[in-house]
Amino acid sequence: MQSKAGYLIGKLVELLLTLLVVSLLVFTAFSIIPGDAARVMLGPEASQAQVDLLRAELGLDKPLIVRYGSWLIGLLTFNPGTSYAYHMSVGELIAQRLPVTIGMSAIAMIMVIVISYPMAVLSARKPGRFGDQVCSVIGHILFAIPPYVASLLLILLAGSLFSLLTVGNYVSPSDDFIGYVGCLILPSFAIALPKIAMSFKFLRSSIIEQRTSDYVRTSKSHGLSDFKILIRHVLPNSNVSSITIISIILSDILGGSLIVEQVFNLPGLGRLLLSAISRRDFPLLSGIVFYLAFITVILYFLSDIAASLADPRIRLK
Amino acid sequence: MTTHIHIVKVHHLTLSFPTRKDPNPKPILNDVDFGIRDGEILGLIGNSGCGKTMTSLAIAGLLPESASITSGSIKFAGKDLLAMDPKSRRAMLGKDIGMIFQEPSTALDPLMTCGKQLEEVLTAHKDSTKTPEERRKAIIEMLETVGFTNAEEILDRYPHQLSGGQRQRVLIAGAALLKPRLLICDEPTSSLDTVTTVSILALLKDLCHKLHMTILFISHDLSAVRGFCDRVMVMKDGKIIDKDTTSDILSHPKNAYTAELLTNARLDTRLLGLEPATVDYTRSPVLTAKNITAGYGDSLFARGKNRKTDNTILHDVSLEVFPNEILGLIGSSGSGKTTLIRSLLGLLPHSGKVNIRSSSVGAIFQDPVSCLNPAHTIKWHMEEALRASGKTDNSVPRKERKAKSLAKIISVLEECGLGEQHLLRHPKELSGGQRQRVAIAMCLIQEPSLIIADEPFSSLDASSSAELLKLMTDINRERSTAFLLITHNIHIVRQICPRVIVMDSGRICEEGNTTDVLTNPKSECTSSLLDAEREIHGI
Repeated sequence: MQSKAGYLIGKLVELLLTLLVVSLLVFTAFSIIPGDAARVMLGPEASQAQVDLLRAELGLDKPLIVRYGSWLIGLLTFNPGTSYAYHMSVGELIAQRLPVTIGMSAIAMIMVIVISYPMAVLSARKPGRFGDQVCSVIGHILFAIPPYVASLLLILLAGSLFSLLTVGNYVSPSDDFIGYVGCLILPSFAIALPKIAMSFKFLRSSIIEQRTSDYVRTSKSHGLSDFKILIRHVLPNSNVSSITIISIILSDILGGSLIVEQVFNLPGLGRLLLSAISRRDFPLLSGIVFYLAFITVILYFLSDIAASLADPRIRLK
Repeated sequence: MTTHIHIVKVHHLTLSFPTRKDPNPKPILNDVDFGIRDGEILGLIGNSGCGKTMTSLAIAGLLPESASITSGSIKFAGKDLLAMDPKSRRAMLGKDIGMIFQEPSTALDPLMTCGKQLEEVLTAHKDSTKTPEERRKAIIEMLETVGFTNAEEILDRYPHQLSGGQRQRVLIAGAALLKPRLLICDEPTSSLDTVTTVSILALLKDLCHKLHMTILFISHDLSAVRGFCDRVMVMKDGKIIDKDTTSDILSHPKNAYTAELLTNARLDTRLLGLEPATVDYTRSPVLTAKNITAGYGDSLFARGKNRKTDNTILHDVSLEVFPNEILGLIGSSGSGKTTLIRSLLGLLPHSGKVNIRSSSVGAIFQDPVSCLNPAHTIKWHMEEALRASGKTDNSVPRKERKAKSLAKIISVLEECGLGEQHLLRHPKELSGGQRQRVAIAMCLIQEPSLIIADEPFSSLDASSSAELLKLMTDINRERSTAFLLITHNIHIVRQICPRVIVMDSGRICEEGNTTDVLTNPKSECTSSLLDAEREIHGI
């Protein structure tokens, strides 16, 4: 029998190895991309001597392995170099923008769970009936709308009809937390919409499948009410399979926020990433890519842990 | 004739599954009329699909939503069940009516400890034992009654940590916890091996006396009701066609269908015309396996550490299968039979040598339901098997090749007792026995010299088993195909296997001529298998 601690340690080692591979990939990718950062910064008019001087200043003349080592140490201390374009520490830049992206993803995730769960439970009660059909059709429509289209529609709706939620003005959470949440609600909703549909569809079929399983029949023969069976047996079992889907949705949401930020004019990581790309700001770019990958890997790690907590078959082999 | 107190009275019950297209379909239960006497064990037997399970579900009130009872009534201790509202009917379950089902491996919630699941029976019925301590005590007592010596440990175990027999005991404990007056057992032993079956039947009989319970015992196996039931009813196509005391049914069947069932259940070689081919042991074997050791691997990180547990399932197993031979492989559940054949087929990493003197080996498995792809037709399955065998001739033009392969498919299907009309059917449109035939046909089309069959009969009723058995011996005789037959039915081995291997805890404990091994068993595991067999079949 495998111990709980052993499982956790194994997973942690797995996590660290994954992160190391990710860092290596990110570093290699940005090192082999053609185009010299020093040349880009100085422009085509600059002389080769000037370019060489700047290369030495930026440390670009050192061997790759040394640069990778110092970059790795920088990542660990949350200071992976200085941005060429902003002339600021990459860590600091990311820290400034992170609350927008994280906050938006968190709100979107809460929306997905709060809306799709009850919808799925209600829909799965009587599959094939009118309510279920309506929910499924709505699900299909939502699934088909890309987040940026949803964003534009929502801006139109909120701006012209209700003028309720602030569009386009970002409030930092330290200034006014409620205002911060308020300005993120619409963009979060735009990201959440297709994910709600996805999570709904998955949960619904998983609940329907669990409801016809043998242990549900056993519970019925024990005299449990349908509601008790739903809460105590059906939902926990469908949760085991949804944990994976939820973690995929969550990492999807992180990625989806990059586009929506652009539409809603929010100062998040996505816009920082776009500007870093257009200016060939490699330190910033690799920093953002790595930390986004870092968050994703951590999410999958947490979902593995959550799955093992939810399912004794994983925990106690 | 003496009058009896009936605990359940089913009165002219007719049940069907109406759909919008067909509002008056052929009834699943047709004018079923019987009573269960207080304190008796009543057997209900018949082939799969005859309506046994629907009868039990109708009594319990757990019929699928699409079912509709068109006429008749069901009375439980004088109360009309069909007039009750669903809520109070559900409340009767567990308290007045207990149930046990066929498949113990999936009948418990995998996420909940056994103790918690048993506790639910008590908490669902509020008037029962109040405090958690009292509940715990009641559960432990019941677990001890069903034969657990380590009841406290079982409470904290998850279902996957128990064996099939243990799970069925936990389920019986759950069903008997509130001492219901009626216990419905729907094929409670059909997925268990013979040794476990005998102990479970003994336990049920014991409980029946101790708690004064009445049992409705549903089975497709006539031999299982011997020595267990007081009375037996025979069901065919939704009708009860015969009912009598067990001894009368089993020894002097008056009804022709009952007699037929009985013959099939005995699987008598002479009556079925089974005739396996004669084996020449001087020829070189089709399959030689030497020193097979296999087990379940550790995860990537556990591998480096010193191993505390031994995951090895097979220890140094060697065997040979000769041409034309039907070699029997028996042993109780968990003895490593399935692991062995998975190793032989190369589906499991193992050490040791497997040498197969043939281009292809066929395999048929236990559960014909999940072996076929539900999305495709039988024709598709057969074509795929033919392609996989690589025996299609690529030199002839495509059209001709297609016609040729179709002709071959049809001839093989016909050999297996199916026909052209089955070509375009999907697996769900076939019965269990027919699906198993498709599985065999898929093997045959590859013209293997050896077919490995892993408990092919265990999910089939007696008639289908008998037909399948006949098919296997016919193939063996006419095509000289060797079989490695894994089964827990010693009776079948005795009838058709000239040689037998007995396995116990991952080792071969006995091997030799079937008559020698089964009449003078040298090892303890063979004798215990035989004892169980004797008890259940009364032979």
